Amino acid sequence: MIWLYRKLILASIRAQMQYKLNFLTTAATTGLIMVIDFLVLSAILQRFDQVKGWDIYEVGVLYGLASASMSLYRLIAPEIHDFERYIVYGDFDQLLTRPVSPLTLLLTRNIELARIGGIVQGIAILVISLYGLHQEGKNIVWLLAYVPVSLAVGTVILFSVGLATATIGFWTGQIKDLQTFTLYAPATAANYPISLYPGWLKLLFYTAIPVAFMNYMPMSYLLDKGGSWTALLMPLGMAAVVCWMALRFWKYGIHHYHSTGS
Amino acid sequence: MVYWRIIRKSYIRNLQYRIAHLINNVASAIFGFVYMAIWFGVLDGRAGSSPYDQQTMAQYITLTQCLLWVTTFHTPGLGIQNGVRTGAVSTDLMRPISYFLYVMSMEFGKVVYSFFYRFIPVGLILGSIAGFSFPLQLQTYLWFLLSLLFSVYLGLLLFYITGISSFWTTEIRWSHYILITLIFGLGGQMIPVELLPGLLGKLSLYLPFSGILYAPAMIFLERIDPDVIVMQAGWAMVLTLTALFLTAKARRKVEVQGG
Repeated sequence: MIWLYRKLILASIRAQMQYKLNFLTTAATTGLIMVIDFLVLSAILQRFDQVKGWDIYEVGVLYGLASASMSLYRLIAPEIHDFERYIVYGDFDQLLTRPVSPLTLLLTRNIELARIGGIVQGIAILVISLYGLHQEGKNIVWLLAYVPVSLAVGTVILFSVGLATATIGFWTGQIKDLQTFTLYAPATAANYPISLYPGWLKLLFYTAIPVAFMNYMPMSYLLDKGGSWTALLMPLGMAAVVCWMALRFWKYGIHHYHSTGS
Repeated sequence: MVYWRIIRKSYIRNLQYRIAHLINNVASAIFGFVYMAIWFGVLDGRAGSSPYDQQTMAQYITLTQCLLWVTTFHTPGLGIQNGVRTGAVSTDLMRPISYFLYVMSMEFGKVVYSFFYRFIPVGLILGSIAGFSFPLQLQTYLWFLLSLLFSVYLGLLLFYITGISSFWTTEIRWSHYILITLIFGLGGQMIPVELLPGLLGKLSLYLPFSGILYAPAMIFLERIDPDVIVMQAGWAMVLTLTALFLTAKARRKVEVQGG
């Protein structure tokens, strides 16, 4: 299985590397908006010191984690993210005839290498912020150690939400507008402290679209903003639960799939 | 007139998507909501250190989120690069009408549509959170309208120039990203440009990007002098000449790809 994944992914990488210059420019520019967005935020926080008790480096940690996770999800699952066309053009029928599960096929078909640009820029923001915290005399050992966990949790959560959104496409045929609700807006909101938002949004970010778990919850504890050590374990549990639920929902969706016909 | 008909046709074509877009407006309002929440958090208890209070900032965000729909969320490159890639552009250039006005009219129809089905609804949703406030002086409406028209035109011009560059580069994805980034960053989408640090704060007031979001929003809020419209008009002239110059160059550059 892993052997097959490796082989298919390598083929996809080779295909994309046929256009090296295009790859480099796209990779460099995909993260650009994100960086400018963060620079504008730095400008605001440089003037007003902090937001809800979080200074620029602390927000930078949230920002870096959330945006790198989003780019990681977009890197590994472009076909899930753009699943709409499989439904609209009826391409999904083809996948059902293969001897491998449709999800494996979709995940191995393509990885969107240009997203590496976004990952690098997200991690750069993270590194600068951690360095800044270190300069302020904060102990960042635990933060550093937890970063890979947070990135993995974030990617799994966003992937699960993305997969569930794609599954809704089996009934609605369209998912692009829905993604703004389920992915883009929550991921943007998670760039900043969740404490900024009113109660009903907080509730949403802790339950149905649990983006609070991918950075805010564990980092609040690690940056001494409150919470207990369980804040380091709960994200793992949440990631496992949403992933399981999303997979169940996906299987349920496939059973109810009707082709568009031609 | 032929351009009027193009605008009308493009408007009617866009009308087909209005139900989906009306739903989408709610989603896109969430972004405005996030930016408002940041400003509320930042200014909480520190009203003295800012020239703008929380409500003004919320209204500013409301206005820029609305303006984005008629100035920035256009078809990338106004679709010119697609014609260049497929070769269809050669037919468009042969038509007995101005290519520049033809492309601009097509997109302008969409802008008119976006005004009614994006600008207004997003304004209503975000305004209900930020609180509605309308200018007291009658002439402000006039200045705002004028500034709005210039901001729409400036946005279209920048998109057109990006699109026309495809005659030389074929691919405009990266230049499109850079354009959007500049409009978002230096246009004042999240922060009034004069609050940007140091030289950037002073310089960006004179760049065309601030004429796209910042100028009309601040005129509506009666926080800047309408003189800024002169700056918008100046850039509109410079960019129109640039666009026409590049169109003339491009006309000579037409290559037919493929066979």
